[in-house]
Amino acid sequence: MTATLNQLMTQDTYQINGKTFTSRLLVGTGKYPTNELMGECLEASGTEIVTVALRRVNLENKGEKTLLDFIDPKKYTLLPNTAGCYSAAEAIRVAHLARATGISDFVKLEVLFDEKTLLPDPIATLEATTILVKEGFTVMTYTSDDPVMAQKLEQAGAHAVMPAGSPIGSGQGVLNPNNIRIILEKLKCPVLIDAGVGSASDVAVAMELGVVAVLLNTAIAHAKDPLKMAYAMKNACEAGRLSFQAGRIPKKLYAQASTPLKDF
Amino acid sequence: MVNGENKELTEQTTLEELIRQLGVRKETVVAEVNRQIIQMDKRPEIKLSDGDQVELIQFVGGG
Repeated sequence: MTATLNQLMTQDTYQINGKTFTSRLLVGTGKYPTNELMGECLEASGTEIVTVALRRVNLENKGEKTLLDFIDPKKYTLLPNTAGCYSAAEAIRVAHLARATGISDFVKLEVLFDEKTLLPDPIATLEATTILVKEGFTVMTYTSDDPVMAQKLEQAGAHAVMPAGSPIGSGQGVLNPNNIRIILEKLKCPVLIDAGVGSASDVAVAMELGVVAVLLNTAIAHAKDPLKMAYAMKNACEAGRLSFQAGRIPKKLYAQASTPLKDF
Repeated sequence: MVNGENKELTEQTTLEELIRQLGVRKETVVAEVNRQIIQMDKRPEIKLSDGDQVELIQFVGGG
């Protein structure tokens, strides 16, 4: 019997540092109108890995619900980020804090260069990757779409390399698919598109390039209807993956009739 | 100093007691004293002194 869609999707797993995942959509937890809606969107997206951040406890709001009241760490793998860090030392400190929670040794390493572009600082990113890998973290590194940098990060031991499709939160999609293709050709470790996708079609395009997964946040959280967008992203991600595996037809300049022209 | 704010504490207050006094749910926070992470089971042993910098950190939404 031919495989059902569900069979195709559930059998198509991938690993990050030995841990197996099925969903190829990683979803962030920032910027939702409410935590309740965020929880529903995570569920709808089918995600298994969710990014979180670390910040000071607000001492004015004692006893208020925390993010973990809305995300079950037994259900999702938490991927703490180092967003907002502008040096290797800061990012390493945040990774240590995240691991001290005892919930996750995954880290989405992000060392930024400036606030306007939120582009990564490549030198500090490489330095922090090297150190955190040695310290036993599962390091998923955010980077630009530079194929040379991606290779350097893999050589440093990154467990996943995550080039931005376009600037964080910009919703511009994958601006340089050729760079992503080169990265995919050169790297053996999982490559994910992290940042920049704005719509379901952007996710499908990214997945059709052959990346292992896509990480997004704003595209769902800031959609007019985040829940609908979460469903759309799930479907687009699966569609893009299947399309990549199925193999597209070559593009041709001239028409090719679908209906036989003879014997009419 | 706790999260950048001055706090007056009675003498010999431990980190565990401070967290309780602040009404913060202890299982959801990570604590640093003077930039050293203090594991949860060590908090009752850490006596705070004048000038100590305490940071209480927790998970929040992020991408």
